[in-house]
Amino acid sequence: FAPPGRLNDALLFTPQPNLCAAQTGGRAQTSFFVLLSVINDKLITEPLRHPDFFNVKELFSLKELFDARVHLGHKKGCRHRFMEPYIFGCRLDQDIINLDQTMKHLQLALNFTAHVAYRKGIILFINRNRQFGHLVEVTAKDCGEYAHTRYWQGGLLTNAHVQYGSGIRLPDLLIFISTLNNVFEPHVAIRDAAKMNIPTVGVVDTNCNPSIITYPIPGNDDSPLAVELYCKLFKTTITRAKNKRKQMEVLYGLQNKADSS
Amino acid sequence: MVARESSARARPGAGKVRGHAPPSDRRNMATPSWGRAASRSRAWQLLGAARRGSSHGTADSPVTGVSPPEPEKRPSSLTGALDAGPQQVPSKNVESFASMLRHSPLVQMGPAKDKIVLGQIFHVVEDDLYIDFGGKFHCVCNRPEVDGEKYQKGSRVRLRLVDLELTSRFLGAKTDTTLLEADAVLLGLLESREIRQKE
Repeated sequence: FAPPGRLNDALLFTPQPNLCAAQTGGRAQTSFFVLLSVINDKLITEPLRHPDFFNVKELFSLKELFDARVHLGHKKGCRHRFMEPYIFGCRLDQDIINLDQTMKHLQLALNFTAHVAYRKGIILFINRNRQFGHLVEVTAKDCGEYAHTRYWQGGLLTNAHVQYGSGIRLPDLLIFISTLNNVFEPHVAIRDAAKMNIPTVGVVDTNCNPSIITYPIPGNDDSPLAVELYCKLFKTTITRAKNKRKQMEVLYGLQNKADSS
Repeated sequence: MVARESSARARPGAGKVRGHAPPSDRRNMATPSWGRAASRSRAWQLLGAARRGSSHGTADSPVTGVSPPEPEKRPSSLTGALDAGPQQVPSKNVESFASMLRHSPLVQMGPAKDKIVLGQIFHVVEDDLYIDFGGKFHCVCNRPEVDGEKYQKGSRVRLRLVDLELTSRFLGAKTDTTLLEADAVLLGLLESREIRQKE
């Protein structure tokens, strides 16, 4: 579940050298730093022990997905070959997405998003479907994360240090509400994120390519009901994870005070 | 339970919660009559997806109380079907996806060509009306000359579907090009409510 190679929390809490000292077993110079690193470890490792620490399963049900028309796909002629495993069948030329699989994938994706948000990762919502651009921006704003619903400049991720100065922090997770851009081609950010080792979560419709996306969610990305549902789910997961983080910090802070006194 | 239904509906002012798909519909499916005379009483309501018989028993009693302003003239077998619903599957309230799909109005409707459905206008741009009828895409219709001002955001209308999604394969292309729109002919406003009020 951990974003590869990013110890954001460690950087925020303690300067690196002290953390290393604690991990190698050597006594840190002040007990303050030792305590912080102990809290740190517990904070980060505790959620990883549970398969569904944030209980994202309860946020959605098969019925809700069905009513939001998540199972409706495009016509048979628009089908992408790699979406065939996720398609339940084809009814009068219209593809139907298998909601049982969608449930599983959605749970995995939401769980991952929650863990990233818990560890204070930066999340970037991407959507190039003009009908829902405003909705996605509002969703991102409400959960305190970021959104990019405009034209994607080529070097945004791959050339960030040149374009925006060195020391820029790239997003830790990209969430695609629609993986296609305006000309029905895969969004450039999918490939760029893969190049920069940034995990991606994306809603893939029957005409999308799910190959490089880390956590694809097979589902409808064209109906307003479905997109509203996804936005609501992501917003709830991220807020829940952040609140949980605050709770855990308080909990471990109190525990350590009790231990030390 | 009523709150659950309203949140599941998610479209403001969408059709009232429908109960179990009435048996009369299944009979109609067996003998499809696509004549316009019969169409008035059989307009498909794809918006506000129907509750199936296996869903919660306690939810059905508020539904029967709310069901009177039904846009189509559904026979009273609707309430009969609702009462029969909870008795069939009292404890199991998890319906499989395949079952939900099979009983969904979209599938029960069959081919979309020449089917009468109810829609709701969700966006207006001068003379263009964007109408959502419960399918994957919306349709865009021109404002008719008759009663033009009555077509505002939130109005319920009757449509005759032509296609659920406008796609076509052009020469030299690998996949179809899609317009992300459905195609329908606007028949008029929903009038049965006024008729019902007169009665």
